Amino acid sequence: MKREIRDMQEALDALGYVAEPVVATAVYLATAMRKPLLVEGEAGVGKTEIAKAMASLLGTELIRLQCYEGLDVHTALYEWNYQRQLLRLKIAELDGRDPAELEATIFGREYLLERPLLRAITRREGPPVLLVDEVDRADDGFEAFLLEVLSDFQVTVPELGTIRAEHVPYVVLTSNGTRDIGDALRRRCLYLYVEHPTLEKEVRIIRSRVPGAGERLAEDIGRFMQALRKRPLRKTPGAAESIDWAQALVQLHRDRLDAEAVAQTLGCFLKDHEDVSQTGGETLDALLTESGVRAAAG
Amino acid sequence: MTERDLVAHLARFAGALRVRRVDVRLKDELDAAEALPLVDIFDRAEVHRTLRTALKVRRADWDTFDRVFAELWDAAGSRSSRARRRPPRAVEDHRGPPRWEWDGRRVRLAVPGARAAPEGETPGYSPDALLRRKPFDELNRDDVRRVEQLIARAAARLATRRSRRLVPSRRGGVVDVRRSLRRAVGTGAELVALARRERALEHLDLVLLCDTSGSMDPHTRFLLAFMMGLRRAARRAEVFVFNTGLTRLTSWLGAGRHEATLRRIASLVPDWSGGTKIGASLAEFVARHQNQMVSSRTIVVILSDGLDLGDPDVLAGAMRAIRRRARRVIWLNPLLGDARYRPTAGGMAAALPFVDHFASAHNLESLERLVPLLAA
Repeated sequence: MKREIRDMQEALDALGYVAEPVVATAVYLATAMRKPLLVEGEAGVGKTEIAKAMASLLGTELIRLQCYEGLDVHTALYEWNYQRQLLRLKIAELDGRDPAELEATIFGREYLLERPLLRAITRREGPPVLLVDEVDRADDGFEAFLLEVLSDFQVTVPELGTIRAEHVPYVVLTSNGTRDIGDALRRRCLYLYVEHPTLEKEVRIIRSRVPGAGERLAEDIGRFMQALRKRPLRKTPGAAESIDWAQALVQLHRDRLDAEAVAQTLGCFLKDHEDVSQTGGETLDALLTESGVRAAAG
Repeated sequence: MTERDLVAHLARFAGALRVRRVDVRLKDELDAAEALPLVDIFDRAEVHRTLRTALKVRRADWDTFDRVFAELWDAAGSRSSRARRRPPRAVEDHRGPPRWEWDGRRVRLAVPGARAAPEGETPGYSPDALLRRKPFDELNRDDVRRVEQLIARAAARLATRRSRRLVPSRRGGVVDVRRSLRRAVGTGAELVALARRERALEHLDLVLLCDTSGSMDPHTRFLLAFMMGLRRAARRAEVFVFNTGLTRLTSWLGAGRHEATLRRIASLVPDWSGGTKIGASLAEFVARHQNQMVSSRTIVVILSDGLDLGDPDVLAGAMRAIRRRARRVIWLNPLLGDARYRPTAGGMAAALPFVDHFASAHNLESLERLVPLLAA
């Protein structure tokens, strides 16, 4: 393994992000090649965490753009500060100033509200990490716009003209795969698919994120989750759920799993009614036995 | 390996991936060529990770990627290091190929222990309720007209779906502060007229591919009626029929009586109600029309019983190409209305992995259920 990649993996580890070689390699390549990194994977596998870890690793700001259906330029890029503009207009009215001159004033930089994309390219202190979260939720029109921003790193505000990037930001895009990302955008990025963690990794994640959780508890949760993910569920829990669950169990002063503890805290990792109702009684027993928790406890 | 060797080898590797239908473009190769010098190229696992990241290999193609990597990359590496490593076995699924099962409403992957959701009941009675559930091949002459009306109405509902995106509007909607202010500059900060925005109308692009072979006969007329209704609702709808060949019908499905249209179509389409070559017909569509007609906004609807006389591989290849480009692929199969039917026939089994929604189309109710799928 290349030294830089090993270093990166260790640095991510030290930050509390348990990185597999795949993730470390992808993050290293994205920073070295200055290309956006497209991260796909099921919910809860820690896609967003990659961007956060990258920002603290590079010692820079994380700027996040959460995508949703109907997201438009005014939320993603910029918006004018209407209140200030109105105020300025009213004051100008008293002075009786020329409208053209007035327009130039109120559409100046100080009346502009920067939204995530614009802030990411105008940051002066160095390149930030721009996280475009759940890009598959935005409509494809926005995707085309994003593609343009990501290729030129400049944006045009009609009233102001073109604004160029001070520093080209590091870009991480995440997608849950609710919709296929357009080919053009995919090709512009490096690609990383994150899977559910292995047992060993999951235990490490729990230990590093929930300091109160002992070796035994983390191991039990890990084993249980691995067994649970093999079942057909509507919403398969990810590492995020394991962390929530571990926290809950620590609050309840549990140092290992048993049937009672699991039944009490089912809602920490099963977040679908049908899944909850199907995982009662016998299934739970089976899971506990399968994961080896029951045998050890009994 | 020198850098030139590396590039040449990379090109061979990408070529081998393409042959196995993994979508790798020149741009991806360039990315990979840029990435490889950044990593330790004598570390097999690292090269593997790097190539997968830089060539943007999707999760679904990982097994193929692993195989090609084992064949080509390991062979090349061993020439210099002389340590011929055994290619790692691709991760194999011991559960065998996924089985599709009919759960009374739609086909889904067979999941042991999972219960099927009960069929949704519509409370209240209407004379149309019975008609809705009556299989198309049992309708009498009077029913036909009523069903056609209901089909047209269901299809028209599609036209009213609105996007969440806001666009300028003259009629009303929420106040557009930005444009209102912009106008106010001219009138000295006095808001004389408010500009407004409303939710944009979602445009629907549809491509309909309809099987007209003998096995589909009782259903064809209603499916065509449905398609004609959809044509009025969609911004763009292309209609094709196929049996042993593909015929574009778009210009023929105008307004007018279905009876006349059907007769006209029958005279146009070769081998109406004959045998079917689904794979070849869809491949023809991909080759001749796909680029112009299918984009990421397009929903492709295929109406067929999947009883293909041709090579399943041809069908799978065509379906893969369509799936890659379209927003969604819906396969309607009238046979699904029959509880005994299992989609294991060669053609259907080959096509299923590339279908987003597999639904029945044997009565009006099943067609109506399709409407939300088309709109979302």
